[in-house]
Amino acid sequence: MTTAPPPVPGSMSNAAYEQRLRDAVMDAAPLLNAKLLPVSVRSSALNKALAAGLPQLRDDLWRYADIKFLASAALAPIAGAAVEPATLATLPPRLAGYMRLVFVDGRLQQGLSDPCPALDVAAAPLVPERTRHERFGWLNDAFAMDVARIAVQAELRLDVVFLATAGSQRQAVYPRLELQLAPQADLVLVERHLGSTGAGGLINSAAQVYAGAGSRVRHLRWQGLDEDAQHLDTTQIALDRDARYQLTLLQLGARATRTSLRASLFGAGSTFTLQGVAVAGGKHTLDHSLLVDHMAPHTTSDQVFRAIAHDRAHIACRSRVEVGGKARGARSDQSLKGLLANAGAEIDLRPQLEIFTDEVRASHGATTGALDENMRFYLLSRGLDADTARGLLEWAFLEDAVAHIELPELRRAVEQTLATALGNPVARQVLQ
Amino acid sequence: MLSIRDLHAKIADREVLRGINLELPAGEVHAIMGPNGSGKSSLSHVLAGKPGYTVTAGGVSYQERNLLELAPEERSRAGLFLGFQYPVEIPGVNNAYLLRAALNAARRQRGEQEVDAFDFLALVKERMALMKMDEAFLSRGVNEGFSGGEKKRNEILQMLVLQPTLAILDETDSGLDIDALKVVANGINTLRAPGRSILLVTHYQRLLDHVTPDRVHVLARGRIVKSGGPELARELEQRGYDWLLDEAA
Repeated sequence: MTTAPPPVPGSMSNAAYEQRLRDAVMDAAPLLNAKLLPVSVRSSALNKALAAGLPQLRDDLWRYADIKFLASAALAPIAGAAVEPATLATLPPRLAGYMRLVFVDGRLQQGLSDPCPALDVAAAPLVPERTRHERFGWLNDAFAMDVARIAVQAELRLDVVFLATAGSQRQAVYPRLELQLAPQADLVLVERHLGSTGAGGLINSAAQVYAGAGSRVRHLRWQGLDEDAQHLDTTQIALDRDARYQLTLLQLGARATRTSLRASLFGAGSTFTLQGVAVAGGKHTLDHSLLVDHMAPHTTSDQVFRAIAHDRAHIACRSRVEVGGKARGARSDQSLKGLLANAGAEIDLRPQLEIFTDEVRASHGATTGALDENMRFYLLSRGLDADTARGLLEWAFLEDAVAHIELPELRRAVEQTLATALGNPVARQVLQ
Repeated sequence: MLSIRDLHAKIADREVLRGINLELPAGEVHAIMGPNGSGKSSLSHVLAGKPGYTVTAGGVSYQERNLLELAPEERSRAGLFLGFQYPVEIPGVNNAYLLRAALNAARRQRGEQEVDAFDFLALVKERMALMKMDEAFLSRGVNEGFSGGEKKRNEILQMLVLQPTLAILDETDSGLDIDALKVVANGINTLRAPGRSILLVTHYQRLLDHVTPDRVHVLARGRIVKSGGPELARELEQRGYDWLLDEAA
């Protein structure tokens, strides 16, 4: 008789998890919109999530993830209430020239959003099916109340705000984004995750983006959740021939967050670039599992990931690149770097590269350390005080990733956000 | 200006300064010469407060203050400037920002108003012209992508902007071609003034052809083994260092 392997320490057993999921389905069933996601799709997703169960101790992909909160966090969405005026005040200002969609607790707020003719398209994005590595995406398939489902035919600048709130009842919210780009379409997407469902809640977001042949996407994904937020994210990107996708990932909030990202370069000549920035303090845990799959010839990927951990925070990033047998002529570069602001902080970076063909050019590297003492002394020797020197060097460390953002207005928005996140006036002065 | 008395210092467990005695009056330029490993750069670093060095005996007085009690940034704001032998690159921190931040730190220390952006730019451009530097360097990261010679020019540019009262230039001439050497020497000479002192650390005579020192000190094995006028440098150029080491032994 085989015994089930133990789940991640401190979390619940698979049996308890299964029961909680079934209970959540019973609670949420009256609220789920079958038009947006048919019952068959939801049911199939739930069954897959149940079969996959919780990540196991031996599962390398989940080694550093803090998901103990799943033992007690709410899994079901609840009926929506009117949005409080105080909540509206926390919405970020509109971006000039962008179409805006606002979701509060996973529900589209018509009154706060611009009319969007491309919404509610029936066809599902053409992304590969989820795997066990994306198991929490199945929960989003099962429980999502609403979805930003958009077909981009030509040019579009889109500002999507997902705001979570903590009310008197614990809840799980399931922000969901489905985008399909027609050939040659051009999308600029700013996707922001803000707020929190509180210590007993869960934010489980999912995004699927299909970029048609020759299309271009410049995507800024900004996670600025509150300090007590508990967050899971599953993102899948699929690139057709000659599509270009630039993703900037800002991870600046949440008590615990886990991002599972997969970019499938199935079209020849497609390009995927990632600039990732993660800043954490307190006892927060930011975990990332990234997979870039080169499936076709002459595909290109480039990843720059920079992390700063303060206090007793923990940031982890496993970035795997696979170059398949048909991906001759592929090019791939990875640069993962971590900065430990003090003893007690922890950063784990694991670049991985697996190549199954010839004529590939690939590089990968990861370093983690403290501030460079020679640089620090140089600044002190010019009369800058210790805090200013530290702030400048942290800023410079992150700027390495930010400098590659194509659109000037996006780069500026990111720089200003980081300046605030670093909590020192130095970076703001640098921007002047 | 600067008084060094029986200064001993070590790095890790290795003693690098073994009793330095030096008086540098205001308004004078002194050269520190010596073979590799003699302690020249160590002396510069100890005076600037670089971490990793431990002073085990002796003292240093700067403008009648105990220099060794001051943190590196305090020494800088008090008017001490170190021109690095190997200036680091700091991508992401632009030259203009660092210069302006450093200048304003010094001005605040002196009770002066901070310089505004326009005045700062005018000042820097004037000094860059003197150093024959392209203005485009201002917007680049500190020393980022600079050649060795450009880094040294940038050190002198910073010195010209900050106007220190004590400048310690650690092998500023190394790696410079003839033309760059003249530009750097010219920059140093513009700083000579009655209220300012300069310590030139160098291997070679050639910088001293362009910046005439008032005194020359030869360092060997962590001690000053000989001092003299500018002619001492020329003698070293002809005879090397061995004769001095033999004498000191």
